[in-house]
Amino acid sequence: MRKFWVILQREYAQLVHKKSFLFLTLLTPVVMVAFMFLPAYLMQKGTTSTEKYAVIDLDGNGLGRQFTDGMAGYKLSDSSTASFHLDTLVEIPIVETARYQTAYDTLVQAIRDRRLTYLFVIRPDAYLADSNMLLVTNSDNVRDINRFEYQIGQVLSRHRVEVSQISIPIDSIMALTRSVDLPRQDTKGESISPEIKFMVGTILMMLIYMLVLINGQAMMQTVIDEKSARIMEVLVSSATPFQIMAGKILGTGLAALTQVAIWIAGGAALAAYASSTGTQLDSSITRTVFNPATVICFAAFLILGYLLFTTIFAFIGSLVNSPKEAQPLLMPVIFVLFVPAMMIGFAVLESPDAKWIRVMSFVPTYTPLVMMMRVAVLAPTFEGNPLLSPIMFEAVLGMIGIIIALLIAVWITAKVFRVGILMYGKRPTLPEILRWVRHK
Amino acid sequence: MYLTLENITKQYDGKTAVHDLSLSVPKGVIYGMIGPNGAGKTTTIRMIMNITAPDSGRILLDGREVDGTFRDRVGYLPEERGLYKKMTLREVMKYLADLKGYPSKKSNQAIGPWLERMGLKDYEFKKVEELSKGMAQKLQFITTILHEPEIVILDEIFSGLDPINIEVVKDVLLELKRKGTTILFSTHVMEQAEKLCDHICMISRGHKVLDGRIADIKTQFGRNSVQMSFEGDGHFVKTLPGVKQVLEFNNYVELQLTGDVPPHEILKTAVERLKVSRFEVMSPSLYDIFIEQAKVDPAELEHVKGGHHA
Repeated sequence: MRKFWVILQREYAQLVHKKSFLFLTLLTPVVMVAFMFLPAYLMQKGTTSTEKYAVIDLDGNGLGRQFTDGMAGYKLSDSSTASFHLDTLVEIPIVETARYQTAYDTLVQAIRDRRLTYLFVIRPDAYLADSNMLLVTNSDNVRDINRFEYQIGQVLSRHRVEVSQISIPIDSIMALTRSVDLPRQDTKGESISPEIKFMVGTILMMLIYMLVLINGQAMMQTVIDEKSARIMEVLVSSATPFQIMAGKILGTGLAALTQVAIWIAGGAALAAYASSTGTQLDSSITRTVFNPATVICFAAFLILGYLLFTTIFAFIGSLVNSPKEAQPLLMPVIFVLFVPAMMIGFAVLESPDAKWIRVMSFVPTYTPLVMMMRVAVLAPTFEGNPLLSPIMFEAVLGMIGIIIALLIAVWITAKVFRVGILMYGKRPTLPEILRWVRHK
Repeated sequence: MYLTLENITKQYDGKTAVHDLSLSVPKGVIYGMIGPNGAGKTTTIRMIMNITAPDSGRILLDGREVDGTFRDRVGYLPEERGLYKKMTLREVMKYLADLKGYPSKKSNQAIGPWLERMGLKDYEFKKVEELSKGMAQKLQFITTILHEPEIVILDEIFSGLDPINIEVVKDVLLELKRKGTTILFSTHVMEQAEKLCDHICMISRGHKVLDGRIADIKTQFGRNSVQMSFEGDGHFVKTLPGVKQVLEFNNYVELQLTGDVPPHEILKTAVERLKVSRFEVMSPSLYDIFIEQAKVDPAELEHVKGGHHA
C-alpha cells in the first residue's frame, strides 16, 4: 500500500507539473464554451455591417415598397443602424421588357462587383406562386434570407386578403391568423426546453470523453516511456506490477480529478461573481446541471469510465515499445469502444427511452457517455427525489456493469502487464498474450 | 548459507535457459556469477528478483522462500538500465529510495555525499537527460545501493563503465562488503570477476560448470604449471621426475607438472645446477578453467577472456 502511494504521488506530480496540464486545464473550458455557444452566438449576433439590396418590382401593386418598409425595421446589434440599406427600388411595368432587362443586368453586375448583396425581383402575380419571385445573391447568410422570406410573406398575406375582398380589416386577420408558440411544461410543472437538457448532456458527455481520452493516453505514454527508458525492471524490483499499474492509473486519475476540481471551483467562482453583479443564470440550466442525479452520475461515470479505459490503455502500453506501435492498437479501441458512444449519445434526445438506446447504454464501454446523456435528459423531468427515479436505477445498474467490466479488465491487464512491461523488441502475438493471461 | 537456489529450472519457448541450477551465496561475500552471454545469468538473477518465476526449484533467503519483503532488502541493478530522463538526479534517487521504504530523513542526508563521491554533485538538481552515458551508469549504481540494502544484485556489473569508474564501483563494493553487505553480481568479463570475487559460480548454456571459493578453485585446478627463468643449460629439466611437458625458450621454460611431485622439489633440483632468476607456480586463469571445465570451443568465447565489453 505504501509503495502504491509512492508511485501514485510521483505519477500525479509528474503530470500536474507538466506545462501541458496547465494548458489543458485552462484551454478545455474555453474550447467547451466556444464549441457550445459560439455558433449560437454568431447566429444571434449576425453580421456587423449593413447589407445593400435592390428591388425590382414588376407587379405594380406597391408590394416592393411595402417590402422595403418592412426591411427597414431590422437593426444591427447597436439597435440604431439599419441592417439593410435599400440601394435601388425600380418599379417597371411588365411590358417594358427591355428596360427591365437593363435594370436586371446592371444590378446583377453590381452584385458581381460587390457593390450590392441582394437583388430581389417581384414579378407579376407574386401572390399566386412563389416562383414569381427571385432572390439573386452570392451570400449564404441564412438569417438574412429568412428575413427576406418573412417580410415578403407578410406583404403577400396582406395582399392576398386585399385581393380576396374579405370585409374584415386586414390587421384583424393578421392578428387572428398569427402563428403559435406553444407553452409547455412537464408534470412537475417545470418547463426546461429539450435544447437545454441536450446541451447540458452534451457538455457532460464531452467532458468525460476528453478527460478519459487525454489522461488515459497520457498514462499509456508513461508506461511506454518507462519501457523504452528501461526503468521498468528497476521498478519491478521494488514494487509488484500490480502496485505499479494501480499507482499509475490512480495517479493520473487523481490528476484528472484535480482538473475537474479546478473547473468546478472556477465555475462556482464565476457563478458567485455573476450573482453578485445581479446577473441571473438561466434557471433551467442550473436546474438541469445541479440535479442531484446528474451530479452523482457525472462523478461516477467520469471516475468509472476513466478507470475502465485507462486499464485498457495500460494493457496496450504494456504491449508496445513506442507510441507509433500503439497507434494501430489504439485505433480499434477508440473507434469501437469509445466513439460510437458519442453518436448514440447524440441520438438520446430524440428518444431517450428507445429500446436500442437503452440496450446500448448498458454496454460497459458505452455506459459512461450514453447513460450520462440519458440521465441529463430524463432526471430533471422526474417528480420527487431524482435519486429514486427509474433512470437513476438504470444508471446504477450501468455502474455495476462498468465495475464488473473493470474487474475483468484489471485481472487481464495485471497478468499481461506483468510480462509485457519487461518485453522489449518484438510485439507479442495474440496467442502469446492469451498464454500470459492463462498463466497462473 | 544466506541465499540459496535449489534445482532451479526455467524454460522459454521450449528452450532451457537455466537447467537444474543450485548455488549458495554465503552472507557478506562478493559472489560472482560468470559465463558468456546467453549462459542464463540474467534469467537466474531475474528469478532471484522474483521478476520471473522458475518452472521448478526453490529460491531461499535465510532458509525461507523469497517473498515480497525481499524487495526492500535488496538493491538491484538490471542489465538493461535507465532512469527517468525528466527528473532531477536528486528526485530520482529520492523516489527510488522511497519505493524501497528507506526513511526520507536518511535518504535526504545520504544523497549529497553519494553524488559527491561519484563526482556528480554539480548535477544534483539537473535532469537525468543531461548526464553522459557513464555518469548515468554511476547514478544508477548509487540508486541501487542508496537504501542500504543487505544484499546487492548487479547484472552485468561492468557493462557501460570505463576503467576509472570500474575502480570507483569496485571500491564501493569492497566497502559495502566490509560493512557486511552481500554482493552478487554477474559478468561475462572473467578477468574483472577474478580480481573482485570471493566466490564464483560458472555457468554455461544454462548449466552450472562449477562453483566455490576462488581460492579453493585455484587450488583445485592450479599449481600444475611452472614458469622458470635462469642462466645455464636447462635442458635437463625435461628429465626431472614430475615433469610432464616442457616448452623451452632461451633462458626460459614453461613446465607442465604431473602433480605427484611438489613444485618446490623441482625448484630445489634446479637451483643446484642453474642460476635461477625467477620461479613461479602459475595459477590458471578463470578463463582457462572455464574453457577446460565447460568443454567449449575457445573461439566461441573470444570476447570473454579479458578487457571489458560494453
